[in-house]
Amino acid sequence: MKPLLKRIGILIFVVALAAISGVSARRQTKPAASPSAKPASVVTGSPDAKAMGSKSAPITIEVFEDFQCPACRNFFETSLKQVIDAYVVPGKVYLIHRDFPLDMHPYSHQAARLANAAADLGQFQTIERALFDSQDQWSTNGKIEETLATIVPAAQMKKIHDYEAAHINDINASIERDHAMGIERKVNQTPSIYVTSHGKTEALPGGGVNYDLLRNYLDFLLRQ
Amino acid sequence: MATSAVVSESQSQSRAWPRVLLVVGRVALGAIFLYAAYSKLYFNGGWHLRDYHFFFAMAIDSYNMLPIWAVDWMARILPWLELTLGALLVIGVGLRWAASITSGLLLVFIGAMTRALILGIKIKCGCFGNDEPLTVLTLLRDSSLLILALAVTIGAFLIKRRRAAVSS
Repeated sequence: MKPLLKRIGILIFVVALAAISGVSARRQTKPAASPSAKPASVVTGSPDAKAMGSKSAPITIEVFEDFQCPACRNFFETSLKQVIDAYVVPGKVYLIHRDFPLDMHPYSHQAARLANAAADLGQFQTIERALFDSQDQWSTNGKIEETLATIVPAAQMKKIHDYEAAHINDINASIERDHAMGIERKVNQTPSIYVTSHGKTEALPGGGVNYDLLRNYLDFLLRQ
Repeated sequence: MATSAVVSESQSQSRAWPRVLLVVGRVALGAIFLYAAYSKLYFNGGWHLRDYHFFFAMAIDSYNMLPIWAVDWMARILPWLELTLGALLVIGVGLRWAASITSGLLLVFIGAMTRALILGIKIKCGCFGNDEPLTVLTLLRDSSLLILALAVTIGAFLIKRRRAAVSS
């Protein structure tokens, strides 16, 4: 008889726990309950040259990246390119690149400056792709422009180079703004990904995400 | 007469110690497992009962050990398994089973963590929340939890055996 009573006791305990957590969830998953939640307009409303897609997309993804970071390249090559094709292009996701160059990478600041100059000239996607695609080459010797010159037309590279030289202070300030934003959000590794949907911002586990898992999550958010 | 009473009292006190230690050990282990479950369901400043598994799956997948379907399955089940084991350990019901499964689970975790550290993969531990980095310290912490779980398991079996011997 006693074991039976014990089992009933456990069952009641587990059901009660589930009920309590369920009630708490309903109370706390409201946007106001999350201190990390930021209004979507703060992210999507900012004029950001390093963004892709429609600002009115239901989901915004912010990626804090370092162009010399291998995990960032891996995330870009294996997940982000597919996200761009499947979600950004159809207007489901607004994708924002945030610069977070790490001090451990000697050429990441240089790469970020080049990408920011390209962004101001409306060529961010081309340079971002070229930087990640050729990361193995320039990350060993720092010859970024020479490496990119084999991918990007010479005239385009010269334009970016000249723009960077002429606006170096503004470009550095833009990188610093992104970096400060990352520090504020306690970014401690790259890539760090933030997804904003329905007015609520969620940090994904850092270090990159498999595309299939990211797709499952984005589809879930789009169904909401 | 008085001497035998003192002896039997001291004997019963010495017999009570292992039981007290077992209670302390299982409650501590259970509380840690309850917290582990809680940290996978409550993060980023809110409860995630409907979408916790997306985040936890991303942490599990970083170990690069399982196919996506297994990662997804594990991410859905594991927090609730930890919650159940934690509750059973705290209550002290089904102790031999709960402690054995807990030990097995910790052994699997430690195996996966050791593999990741040997391979030099910089990932999230996924132990308490989804954003805790995996380091040698987290491995040492889980190893000490395994020692505690094994002690509780052995203690639970010994006490059961002693009870059976007394009743027979």
